[in-house]
Order: sequence, then structure tokens, then C-alpha cells
Amino acid sequence: MTLVSFAIVLIALCGEVGGQLVLKKAMEMSNAAGFRSLKFLLVFTAGILLMTVKFFLNLGLLQKYDLSFIYPFQGLSVIIITFTAAIMLREKLTLQLTVGSLLISAGIVLVSLS
Amino acid sequence: MPYKPSGLANPWLHLWLSILCVTIYELLLKRGATETAHLADSWAWTGISGLASPYSWVAILFVILSLLSWLHVLRYIPLSIAFPVSQVVHVLIPLCSWLFLGEAIIGLRWCGITLVLLGLAVVAKPVAQLEERL
Repeated sequence: MTLVSFAIVLIALCGEVGGQLVLKKAMEMSNAAGFRSLKFLLVFTAGILLMTVKFFLNLGLLQKYDLSFIYPFQGLSVIIITFTAAIMLREKLTLQLTVGSLLISAGIVLVSLS
Repeated sequence: MPYKPSGLANPWLHLWLSILCVTIYELLLKRGATETAHLADSWAWTGISGLASPYSWVAILFVILSLLSWLHVLRYIPLSIAFPVSQVVHVLIPLCSWLFLGEAIIGLRWCGITLVLLGLAVVAKPVAQLEERL
């Protein structure tokens, strides 16, 4: 894997994490303000844009590498999303959830190293 | 009393639907990307040339379906629970890549898959507690 490809993997990872957090925030807004509020539409569009960037970067990576090799890199997003959701969205983070997320991330990294 | 979605609106059902759609999407996207890998142009790094394959377009359909299900999931299930559970795709995708795309799974990869499954088993308890509340 080249340095440029690694940078693209990292940007795609940021797109995934940011996209998920922003979309969760948008769906929480929809519960309170409905689907037609301007605030919801702006946040939702930002989330979709982030996920779109991630989609195309992922497609470019798949043209060069095996699916079973590239996909696990996104697995790092598990632990990042679990912690950022607890910090930024104030979701409850239990010990079991932390340990489970760490195991999942470790497993995914192990898959990608192989 | 909070609204409890049931039947076809059950968020857990949508979580599994989303997982299934993501697995199919990744397999189709790989097919599309492989088919178009020979198309060299200056924008190839963006992945845009992958759209020349019909597999990529069907993949896009599945990713839209998975997104719709996922958005429903996000309305009711905390992200810190739904996202780790959705990572069962890291077990399904290598298995399906092996079964349908003929990709190899070596010993270390099997160990990784086992660790992911172990992590999912640990996450299962907070999931069960949340399901009781929902």
C-alpha cells in the first residue's frame, strides 16, 4: 500500500466517522422538529455529503486492492465512533460496550493485517 | 410512555436489513471495481470510473436501501450500540468474498473474524438491556 493510498484510507475513515455522527444528530433532530425543518435538512445534507465522499474514495481503493483487505481498515471506525458518540452525543458508555468495541476493532485490525 | 416501533418498523429488523444490504453492496461494488480497473484516466483515484460498470449501479441501489434502513435505526437506537452491532459485516464480507469472489482467507484472518464475533458477544448484553427498554 502506497502513502497516497494510506492517506485516502484515512480520509475515507474520517468521512465515515463524521458522516455517522452528523446523521445520528440529524435523526435526533427529526424526532423533535420533523423532516421539514431547515436545521434538520442542513445537518442531514452535511451527513450525506460526508458519506458520499467516503463512498467514492472507497470505490477508488477497491479498484486497486482486494475487498477483504480494504474493508477492515474501516473497522477502526468502531472504536472511534463508540467514543465520539459518548463524548459528542452524550450517549451512555458502559464497560461491556467499551470492551466489546475494543475486541471488534482488534479483530478487524487483525483481519486487515492478514 | 415512549413510542415502541414494532412489526416492519422494528429498528432491530432494520438493523439486520441494513447489514444484509451493506454486504451485498460491497460484493457488487468489488465486482464493478474489478471490471473497470483497466480504465485508466486522471480521475481514476476518485473511483468515478467504477460507475462504468452496471454492478456499481446495482451496488448504489443496495447502499441507498441500507442507508434508509440505517436512518430508521438511528432514530431509535444509540449510535454507540447500533454501530458496533453493524460490524457483523466484517464477518459476513470476508466469508462472502471467500464464497462468491474466490478470495483467500488465511489463518490470521480467521483469528480476526473470531475476535470480532467475541466482541459482538460482549456487546450483546448492552443490546439486550436496550431492547428491554425499547
